[in-house]
Amino acid sequence: MSSIDLTLQIWRQKNNDSLGHLETYFLQGIHTDMSFLEMLDVLNEKLTKEGKDPVTFDHDCREGICGMCGAVVNGVAHGPEKEITLCQLHMRNFRSGDTLVIEPFRSKAFPIRKDLMVDRSALDRIIQSGGYVSVNTGGTPDGNSLPIPSSVAELAMDAAACIGCGACVASCPNGAAMLFTSAKISQLCLLPQGQPERKRRALAMVETMDKEGFGNCTNFRECEAVCPKSISIRNIARLNREFLVASLLEG
Amino acid sequence: MWFIRFVTSSIGKKLIMGTTGLLLFLFLCTHAAGNATIYMSSEVFQSYADELHSHPLIVMVFSLVIFVLFVVHAGLGIFLFLENRRDPGCRYAVNTRVVSNSLASRTMPYSGLFILLFVLVHVFGFTFGPEHVPISETVKVMLSGFFYGLFYIISFIILAIHLSHGFWSMLQTFGLNHPRYNVLIARLTYILPAFFLLLFGGIPLYFMSGAGASF
Ligand code: HEM
Ligand code: SF4
Ligand code: FES
Repeated sequence: MSSIDLTLQIWRQKNNDSLGHLETYFLQGIHTDMSFLEMLDVLNEKLTKEGKDPVTFDHDCREGICGMCGAVVNGVAHGPEKEITLCQLHMRNFRSGDTLVIEPFRSKAFPIRKDLMVDRSALDRIIQSGGYVSVNTGGTPDGNSLPIPSSVAELAMDAAACIGCGACVASCPNGAAMLFTSAKISQLCLLPQGQPERKRRALAMVETMDKEGFGNCTNFRECEAVCPKSISIRNIARLNREFLVASLLEG
Repeated sequence: MWFIRFVTSSIGKKLIMGTTGLLLFLFLCTHAAGNATIYMSSEVFQSYADELHSHPLIVMVFSLVIFVLFVVHAGLGIFLFLENRRDPGCRYAVNTRVVSNSLASRTMPYSGLFILLFVLVHVFGFTFGPEHVPISETVKVMLSGFFYGLFYIISFIILAIHLSHGFWSMLQTFGLNHPRYNVLIARLTYILPAFFLLLFGGIPLYFMSGAGASF
């Protein structure tokens, strides 16, 4: 097991109203088998022992399934490795002597609560406005009574892999939430259970997305490049179609 | 009203940008076909121009439509650009772009504004150009000039850059993204602008190089 020394520049901000700044910390002997969050734990232990305020960051499962963690590391959301969350990033991706600039997921729609912790409830409000099925689907159906081609089921499953981390918003130069919204719309509109509310859902979720202050998509594709669940912008194309049809027929 | 809601939504605005972009693109195709007659001879080109202007009503209606397309496309483009900029532009201390070919996408509003400038110069040079001189003569004289010709070539390069993102982006906005066609689209988004660049850019080169001296 090898270990590395790092210089960290971390965004410190007391609360949403106060001004933040980058603060520099030095960490020695970080094991390369540690995860990125474990490295932050080591820093926080050190800060606590020194009687200083530890760095606040969101986390929960620490295995890439809950969507709580996330920060921008040297300009890339969830750090340099592809298709993983920050908690799955290992310190072996860095070399001794590296400087890591660690900043929160920034967006007009994500107020900073403290340090690296941002309020992503705008994403929840997009879901609340239509990302569900509310029609009565009855009891447990008999097997194979609702035939769904496996290619369609796969596409819906790919979209459903979104964990709502917000990295797509954080990396988008326009701060758009199109990748997230398109994944949440796709997972339902592809399946039979999602049909009755299909048009209403597309209109309502896009309306909330705009109202929450997310930007306009200009097809930069940064989102799909950083998404830990490799959600494809093919979903955004589907969202555009859904919205157009819904606007023409039900708007 | 559904239409107002559509136009004020983020996706609605993008769809209108895409539609006006497509129509401008189609105009570009017809304009390219007409101008290609320059490569044949001044007589063919002059007779094409005379034929076109013997139907003043058609020319007027088309010009008006294209003018509106430009205003809507450029207006919305700048509006979206400014709206997106309200999001703290340089919001990170370190900015890393993960996508490699982002030059064209990053410069869309700038390349667009340059095209607008070009169109103004172009229209004032030729449409409202010297009267009582055959258009084939005006084209030859103007484009033989080094700086005028160079400005045209640079403009066509910038148009090609704009379209190299615009063509693909338009199809994505229309919802056209399917593994079966993505490779074809990814190629066309470079091939079509390159084709326009060759066809249009060749005209000033033709005159500047002296190849069109006997035009
Ligand atoms: C012959 C002239 C032009 C053609 C053929 C053209 C074509 C296009 C196309 C096809 C798109 C893609 C639309 C989409 O993503 O949905 C586009 C986007 C855009 N155009 Fe133009 N355009 C022209 C002139 C202009 C002008 C004069 C401006 C002035 C500002 C402009 C600014 C933009 C901007 C800002 C975008 C947005 C890029 C994006 O969201 O992806 N364009 N253009
Ligand atoms: S689309 Fe990807 S990056 Fe965006 S919230 Fe979902 S998992 Fe995170
Ligand atoms: S902590 Fe759950 S995804 Fe990272």
